[in-house]
Amino acid sequence: MKAWRLIRALSLSFSVAPKTPTSRSFCSSSRTSSPKIFSVKKITRKNFNSALSDLRRQVREADFLSVDLEMTGVTTAPWRESFVFDRLDILYLKIKDSVENFAAVQFGVCPFRWDASKDSFIAYPYTFYIFPRKELQFDAPVYEFLCQTASMEFLAKYQFDFNACIREGISYLSRAQEATALSRLNSSNQDKESSNEGWRLKEGGDAELVSIADILFTERMKERISQWRNSLLTNTKGVQSEENSNDSNSKFLTVFFKMRPSIRLDGFTSHQHKLIQQVIRKHFKDLAYVRTVDDNSLKQKLLVYTDSDEDRRLLTKEVKTDLCKGAELKLNAAVGFRHVVDLLSSEGKLVVGHNCFLDIAHIYNKFIGPLPSTVEEFATLVNKVFPFIIDTKYLLKADNVIKNLMKRNSTSLSSAFLYLCPQFASLPSSPLLPMQSSVKVEVQVDDMSSSDWNSGTKHEAGYDAIMTGCVFAQVCSHLGVDFKSCSPSEGLIHNEKLQKYLNYVYISGQDGAIIDLKSGKQFPEPFDLYDRLRQRNTVVFQNIVLLWGFHSNFKPKDMKECLTKVFGLGSVTSVYYLDETAAFVQFSKEELVSDFLALKETLEKANDVISVVHPLAKLLEGGKTRAAPYEVYKEICSSSTSRILFAEQAETVNGQRKIWKVEFEHKSGSEESCDEMQSTSRHHLPFELIDACTAGSQ
Amino acid sequence: MRARLLQKRRLCTLNHQQQQQQQQQQQQKPCRRRPVTQVTKPNFAQSLQTLKAQIASADYIAVSTCKTGSFASPWRRVLPFLDTADTAYFKSKHAAERFQVLQFAVCPFTVSESKVAAHPYNFHLFPRDELNVGIPPSYSFSCQTSYLTNMAREGFDFNSCIYDGISYLSRVQETFAKNRLGKPLGGIYPMKSSSTHSVADSLFLERIKSRVRNWMNACKDKKESEGPEDGLVRSLRKLILGVELHGSRPCMIIDVCNERQVQLVLEMLSKFSSDLVPLVIPGKGGEPQAVRVVLASSEEDKNLLERELQDVEDEEIRKIRGFREVIDAISSSQKPIVAFDCLHEFTFIHSKFVAPLPHCRNDFMCSLRMVFPHILDVNHLLKEIGPLKKAGNVPAAFAHLKRRFFIPIDMEIPHQAPDDESDSHGHRVLLTVNLFAKLSSILKTTHADLADFPDKNAESLERYMNIFTPSSIGLQEQPEEENVWMNETARVSTEDLVFIWGFKHGMPAEQLKSCLCGTHDVFSEYFDVRLADKSCAILVFWKPGLAKILLDAMDSGSVGCDSLRELVSEGLKASGYEAYKRVCSLGLWETDLADSLDRSLTEQLQECNMDADCGKKAMEVYWSSDSINLDEL
Repeated sequence: MKAWRLIRALSLSFSVAPKTPTSRSFCSSSRTSSPKIFSVKKITRKNFNSALSDLRRQVREADFLSVDLEMTGVTTAPWRESFVFDRLDILYLKIKDSVENFAAVQFGVCPFRWDASKDSFIAYPYTFYIFPRKELQFDAPVYEFLCQTASMEFLAKYQFDFNACIREGISYLSRAQEATALSRLNSSNQDKESSNEGWRLKEGGDAELVSIADILFTERMKERISQWRNSLLTNTKGVQSEENSNDSNSKFLTVFFKMRPSIRLDGFTSHQHKLIQQVIRKHFKDLAYVRTVDDNSLKQKLLVYTDSDEDRRLLTKEVKTDLCKGAELKLNAAVGFRHVVDLLSSEGKLVVGHNCFLDIAHIYNKFIGPLPSTVEEFATLVNKVFPFIIDTKYLLKADNVIKNLMKRNSTSLSSAFLYLCPQFASLPSSPLLPMQSSVKVEVQVDDMSSSDWNSGTKHEAGYDAIMTGCVFAQVCSHLGVDFKSCSPSEGLIHNEKLQKYLNYVYISGQDGAIIDLKSGKQFPEPFDLYDRLRQRNTVVFQNIVLLWGFHSNFKPKDMKECLTKVFGLGSVTSVYYLDETAAFVQFSKEELVSDFLALKETLEKANDVISVVHPLAKLLEGGKTRAAPYEVYKEICSSSTSRILFAEQAETVNGQRKIWKVEFEHKSGSEESCDEMQSTSRHHLPFELIDACTAGSQ
Repeated sequence: MRARLLQKRRLCTLNHQQQQQQQQQQQQKPCRRRPVTQVTKPNFAQSLQTLKAQIASADYIAVSTCKTGSFASPWRRVLPFLDTADTAYFKSKHAAERFQVLQFAVCPFTVSESKVAAHPYNFHLFPRDELNVGIPPSYSFSCQTSYLTNMAREGFDFNSCIYDGISYLSRVQETFAKNRLGKPLGGIYPMKSSSTHSVADSLFLERIKSRVRNWMNACKDKKESEGPEDGLVRSLRKLILGVELHGSRPCMIIDVCNERQVQLVLEMLSKFSSDLVPLVIPGKGGEPQAVRVVLASSEEDKNLLERELQDVEDEEIRKIRGFREVIDAISSSQKPIVAFDCLHEFTFIHSKFVAPLPHCRNDFMCSLRMVFPHILDVNHLLKEIGPLKKAGNVPAAFAHLKRRFFIPIDMEIPHQAPDDESDSHGHRVLLTVNLFAKLSSILKTTHADLADFPDKNAESLERYMNIFTPSSIGLQEQPEEENVWMNETARVSTEDLVFIWGFKHGMPAEQLKSCLCGTHDVFSEYFDVRLADKSCAILVFWKPGLAKILLDAMDSGSVGCDSLRELVSEGLKASGYEAYKRVCSLGLWETDLADSLDRSLTEQLQECNMDADCGKKAMEVYWSSDSINLDEL
């Protein structure tokens, strides 16, 4: 058991003198307004195992855990950011695309334990550097991830240590990856068995010795091996002495492998190995060519003498089980950082994150398995792994007490932390937050002299995790949650006052997009007056038309002007540009969508004077303007490719859609039900894209 | 022994002083690699200057890049037994668009006899949005973890690369960025001779003229009074008169609505006073928003100001182009460029520094030739001296050549990098130089006609120019297999290839072959099986027509061939080369080739996306000697 020393207290009202000189820097800095106020332990693969055992204990004893992730990127294209016009299913598709492409490079975990004797929380912040290194040979061929240039710069701005991450990051396998690796391992073992037998059959068909050099080498090896073997047979007492008299053959040192005399075949090329194998097969029935891995996980090739066929079979079996065991050990080691996630999941503790949907999705994708296609499925699956999640962003906005407290302050993590927990930032506490209500949090540092500890910075995962935890603890205290009465066994998860916040998570930066992880349904945001005023128009997805490919000089105001000229003044509720090449237009009525699409088509087909002077002509200028109902947007988002401009993306997907449509027609063929379907469920049928290019050429 | 001999030889050619130096160095650092100047943001401007001079005096320029990845799964590599020139291009294009170049080594060198003088530089790059105009060189890029791990093992400093790497914009991006930034200098604006003025124009001009006159008078008044002016007075003056300062000189803003008004203002100003320097300020969309008029105190002052503005612009351009200045310097020198695996290297270079890669290979070759007219592929030179099985990368090729030939090359690197710097990065470019020097000397001795040009190396190598030979093996070598394929150069028409998939994942080729034998008459003839990856294999029929028979048989449900039918019901699928071509040209890149081919089959696309010449005519896969020849265009 490691002696945990209390190095510093982090609330103004509580401070402990340093017990050892090693902690000096921390004490001296505690009164400054430096934002670096918590020490965070940095974990790489060097100190991972010891950290894991500490963490096991700390998680078990914890009241709650906070987590935070840093990734190599967020969006694969500008239009993949979340917009007001994104429906829940589309937001999920965007998150899914992000998670599947980018890597998580830092994982912050911070268990919080209430210490009644000190009337304070004890926190253990960790920053794990993780890197999806390929540890297994029999695994999927290539690991690849995307880096968003802007995100890399952002990480660099906060002194992210890329070298530590890439050189020393802890690798991991998801549960799904482990399962496939295991099945591959088993099947490859079976293959080896069967191929070994196959070998025996084609023994006659050895590659012919083409060059003189090969023939000479083969003869020499045959001679040497038989010499060695004869020496074994004739001089059973003293192998050693025999070796001494024959020291010119430096390559042939007798070693013992599984209690049998053997020679190590070092320093041969793979071609020579092949020749040696051939020699053994042809001339030495009592020698076995063995491939194995030694204690230092170096590959070894040996020739082993076996007494009998029985002994030989035994040897083969032993070698095989060894190899299997070795591979399983490797597999277990390759699981790596996932042990931490398994630990977090298995303890069933309350997990706290700030605006954490993306984090959760990353955790699921990297450590559990591939993301399902719908948000509902995802919610159910996550609920099984982490049954109790609290999003502090939701917490800050959901409760009126807190909301009044926060007033109109930003709910970003760092500003919420500074505002709610001024005691840590050594700022004068706000008059609204009476001192007695401030929660104390201490960080326990085990060995200050170790370079593993560093004063954390904003946007370092472990530091963000402890900030999240502090915000959570502070909000709990304002909500009247009594930490003293919460025993670790019961935990905060059964606390009445927290029940209505459990498992409600902001799905993205967008206001109003909250998901209930228990059901996978969207949950309306608890608005107050401010928000209601801010909320301009509600989005009605059926009333939306998606437009792209128009002229780059065509601005939103032109768009609105041009459309209102045709459909009347109040017809366009809003115009929203995804990027410079695409826009959403929300009409006031659903019919206007189909009216617009129909009009566009006729105008493009007409190609006469009227179509040229028509108010829409400007929008259609260039002949590349396309329009589609909202459902098409979902299809475009679900594509795995990501072009930078939305118009390019839409065209790429459009190409694939054509194929799909052909297929669809082909499948439905003569079936009459096709028309029926069209009339009943318009929304689920593929929409024909109005292709201005082809229309124009007709 | 040989090493010592070589060393001796080298020492003889050096003068005494150098000898001593070298000996000292060798004593100090016995295993030190050759020094390569490492370039990051802080020393970029300085290195660029020296490099430009060295490029000008060099015979050749060797380049070599270090990327974040190359081919995401085994079959997506360029495989000589599988790819035509077109599919090889598509594969390289896909990689070039996906991955990022983090290190770019450039080495101008001269060759005379066996002496090579080289000036190696290694530039560290990072595609940062340096100008903050929302045009990063790349929005995102992909990384293969194995590549990053390898770089880490070599001691590559990722922090310095991401913090201090040099950014760049491609030529196409530069035009885009310039449009967005607008034109900073008035002088750039073409002055049109005066056309007739409308009434509105005259009104506008008169108004501006009086404003400028008032302003100039006010400035002169101020100069005359010359009293010390406090901040309040200055800001009041600014409010009332619209007097602002451009640096230390007074200036004034004239708002304009369009290009026409800009013209009018410039014209008026040039007539008005010789001390005025106009600057057009662009709006967000690049259209002119206002004209800033700066008042110079004298003619000399005006010249000074104009020079300052020019410097600012140059600085801006340097900021925009960044590392691409190196590419431009190489390009404008018109010197022959030497590289290993040129198809791969130059698809990267083209897509990062020139323009997005065109869809068709011919367009790429044309476009590339405009920028780099002379490219020498070391792979191709290697092939010229005989088939090399294992020359997949530079070190392997180097080792191989060293075993076969004794060609002492005396490498001299006059410029010494500072000692404290890590110099292990970018040494691959020096190996390339060495390899090239060796190869050209071999080629010269074996081909008598080349020996006639002892001095003009470039001319003597003209026949090897611009032919790309993709190298087959990437970083990781494939596990050893019985290699019937490479023994001789054979050509197989793509019509005689059949892709099969749907067999057990990872089944060895031999086993697959024995499975197939006897299931159909075509298999009684001699055929080969080669795995493209673990999920898919290629059958090669050496007798024409058999491939089609097999495909037809499988399409028709293999009537009358129970054993083949059995395989098909087990899931075996087959297609001709068309499906594979479609996979490459449409970019249906899945991890397993089998999945890609399945997608290709289900997505029967119209020809619209297919290039005309990627059409139906059968092409030849050059068995182990696939080359792309620029001169065939």
